[in-house]
Amino acid sequence: MEWFESLALLLGSILVLMAIGMPVALAFLAANILGAWFFMGGAKGITLLLNNGFGGLTNYALVPIPLFLLMGEIFFHTGLGARMFNAIDRLLGKLPGRLSYVTVLGGTAFSTLSGSSMGSTALLGSLMVPEMTTRGYKKHMSIGPILGTGGLAIIIPPSALAVLLATLARIDVGALLIAGIIPGLILASFYIATIYIQTKIDPSAAPAYDVETLSWGQKMRLLFGDVMPMLSVMVLIVIGMVGGLITPSEAAAFGALGVLILAVLFRCLSWEAMKKSVVGALRVTLMAYLIVFGSATFSQLLAFSGASSGLIRWATSFDLAPVAMLLVMFGVLLLLGMFMEQISMMLLTVPIFFPLAASLGFDPIWFGLIILLALEISFTTPPFGLLLFVMKGVAPKDTTMREIYLSAFPYMGCSMLLVALLILFPQLALWLPGM
Amino acid sequence: METVGKLYRGFLYAMAGIAGVMLVWLMISVIMSVVMRNSGLQPFAWLFTSSEYAILYMTMLGAPWLVREKGHVHIELVTAALPIGMRRVVSRLVALLCVLVSLILAWKGAELLLGNITRNDLDVRAYYFPKWILTIAFPVSFGLMAIEFSRFVFGDNLMHSGEAGIHE
Amino acid sequence: QETITAVHAFPESLIYTKSFLEFVDKVNAAGEGVVQIEVRGGPEAIGMFQQPDAVRDGVVDMVYTPGSFYAGALPEKDALVTSNMTAAETRANGGIELIDQIHQEKMGLKYLGWFDSGVCYNLWTRNEPTLDDGGNLDVSGLKLRGNAVYNAFFTDYLGAQVIDLPTTEVYSALERGVVDATGWTQIGLIDLKWNEFLNYRIEPCFFSTDLGTVVNLEKWNSLSEEARTIVQDVAIAHEAESSEKLGAVRDEDFAKLEAAGMKVVTLEGDAADAYLAAATQKTWDRMKGLMAESPQGDGNYDKLIELFYK
Ligand code: NA
Ligand code: NA
Repeated sequence: MEWFESLALLLGSILVLMAIGMPVALAFLAANILGAWFFMGGAKGITLLLNNGFGGLTNYALVPIPLFLLMGEIFFHTGLGARMFNAIDRLLGKLPGRLSYVTVLGGTAFSTLSGSSMGSTALLGSLMVPEMTTRGYKKHMSIGPILGTGGLAIIIPPSALAVLLATLARIDVGALLIAGIIPGLILASFYIATIYIQTKIDPSAAPAYDVETLSWGQKMRLLFGDVMPMLSVMVLIVIGMVGGLITPSEAAAFGALGVLILAVLFRCLSWEAMKKSVVGALRVTLMAYLIVFGSATFSQLLAFSGASSGLIRWATSFDLAPVAMLLVMFGVLLLLGMFMEQISMMLLTVPIFFPLAASLGFDPIWFGLIILLALEISFTTPPFGLLLFVMKGVAPKDTTMREIYLSAFPYMGCSMLLVALLILFPQLALWLPGM
Repeated sequence: METVGKLYRGFLYAMAGIAGVMLVWLMISVIMSVVMRNSGLQPFAWLFTSSEYAILYMTMLGAPWLVREKGHVHIELVTAALPIGMRRVVSRLVALLCVLVSLILAWKGAELLLGNITRNDLDVRAYYFPKWILTIAFPVSFGLMAIEFSRFVFGDNLMHSGEAGIHE
Repeated sequence: QETITAVHAFPESLIYTKSFLEFVDKVNAAGEGVVQIEVRGGPEAIGMFQQPDAVRDGVVDMVYTPGSFYAGALPEKDALVTSNMTAAETRANGGIELIDQIHQEKMGLKYLGWFDSGVCYNLWTRNEPTLDDGGNLDVSGLKLRGNAVYNAFFTDYLGAQVIDLPTTEVYSALERGVVDATGWTQIGLIDLKWNEFLNYRIEPCFFSTDLGTVVNLEKWNSLSEEARTIVQDVAIAHEAESSEKLGAVRDEDFAKLEAAGMKVVTLEGDAADAYLAAATQKTWDRMKGLMAESPQGDGNYDKLIELFYK
């Protein structure tokens, strides 16, 4: 089979199965069975699929997500989250879309430091979306910023994916990490601008209800009584990570513990709330991890059958101007990103893209950052961006996938804009590492 | 027959219960190993390994329950566009396809399990652990998923609602 | 013309993978018109730890992987881990023949060759290591990262606090001070950039890499006599060449590290002997115990040690 036939078979089968309404995880598994049959010599390929699932699921890197979910669910079901957001709402006064801004700031800080895009989306999604919806925000005002900031985890250091990329491409890890700081902050400021524009265009998207003016004493009471204790959980686990007491993978467990302790102190921990929290976290985890089970093998089938490497070689075989070539590579990453997970994409593309970039005269650090941005965007590209499903799992029941896709688009646009800026002004990435 | 149904339901929910316990265990094991490490003790290596195994058990044991709860996310595109009669047919056919996939995986999972037992395969991490204790989750989980999906083939309750969008 | 499909355990950027790809090129040159190896990729094509099962089941014909990735099926791989000899020496004395025979019997695999041998492991630390009165390494204050290969040695003998971390997390763990020491092969520290945080290398080195090329036995037997001869001959030649080449790479790496300030601390006399003896003995104990549990028993134990350790 030619590479494009393999590609058509694999992508075609998964898209058809999804379109007729097969659960996403089962669609992956069915496509895998088909692919294993064609490319891995029949029934023995299906055994490999199970072994892959075994390897994919017994992986410590998956520990943080359920625990960040648990943390968010406990925050929500004990009412601690509502209490904190009430206070923030009142402290910020009349600014339209204020909780959206809070989401960008909190999401940037949190996803950046935790380094986990899925974990951060899980936490903020379960924490903010229900709260903001009950306060009259339209869904895209909460879902969008969370999906946007989730991706920042891999741009701004610390970032495990950036370290892995630098190792695979044999470029300076430190320089790549530092190169991400300014572009990452620019991206966060684009997100803020997006919210500002959205509230200007559609004032009803965020409630602009009047809040009574507070005295200094009242403000202090809110700040120290309702905001600081919750914030301190986050601050403590960040200190633990920065101080080397805990790894980012371990931070989620302490986050959940911290919220549990707070709930005990504030006397709002009930058996009922605890049970709801575990069930809530479990539902989303199971849904996401069965997709992980199926998508791990799907990525491998794309590689093993030669479909994805054929695509990459074909796309890079044209004799194009450097910038056009860059856009081709970027486009290939976005296309693969709709169906593959990030690490497989890196393993597949780095050996071809980086030598090509070098021959085109690109700075490797700058190019590495562009690749990271493509990976960042692919977390939220329909149909299979993993963050989209995590969001679907944590958002209120009546949230449609269409709403989630539409919420993500402006924030993907921000990332694209940043890529354009980096092409025009490479110094945005290279100035800081060159210091 | 009714007793069988009751027993089956009990088993399904017990497995989901274990999945929930596994989730809580993740938290406990991580906290224990960090506390031990930072107080100068050597954390038990099985804390780390058990949390990796817990993720597998959690996912596999909870998956059939999530089928019953319609918690596996799917997209309604075709089913939403069809008239009600056709929708019923397509919905049942999709569920049948899910049964088929689950059965194939349950069968190959059982084969893998038997292979692990006869080959005496070990999973090597901090310890050498008999692999069949882990892979037994496959035939059990996919077998039960096949049963749960078949309820959407033959039962009154359809998997698809007919409302456009992604459903969970 | 016959075709052998192949995958490799590590990403393409790693030096060991490059060595395997050289081997493939040599076979494809020598086997033109007779036999060709078709590389399907690395861990992105079949998961790193699933590759041994994949070649066993015949999903792929050939795999380049450390024996430690299938330790559960073949504990005898520890003979290579603890070896202080090169592939050429053990090829000459019949050691590899015995290993091949065990692979065929236990896993249905042809053991084609032990590549990139002669590279050993060091312990690398951030702070100057302390030695006790007897000159022995004192690990009580170390936060040591471990893994399944050397845990028998680190924990059973050194009594260290081992923190199990995947390779990809070690960089950030070193950065934050979660760990401050790790074992690693003599080569590769610079590629992983861990030298940004590690400042001391402890000698003597211990163990050996155990990277080998295995082929599904059914596939191997189905090949023509001519094809088998070409592949096997090239493999035997590559065993010797790769080990010499890596020796030169190690010397280069060491020189680069030393120029960048890496200091060497050497255990002397009895302390060094005890250190090395423990590394091998604790690992042999593990091997013997696991061999005894398998249906084939531990009959080959003494023979293996005789052939792989001088
Ligand atoms: Na980060
Ligand atoms: Na984004």
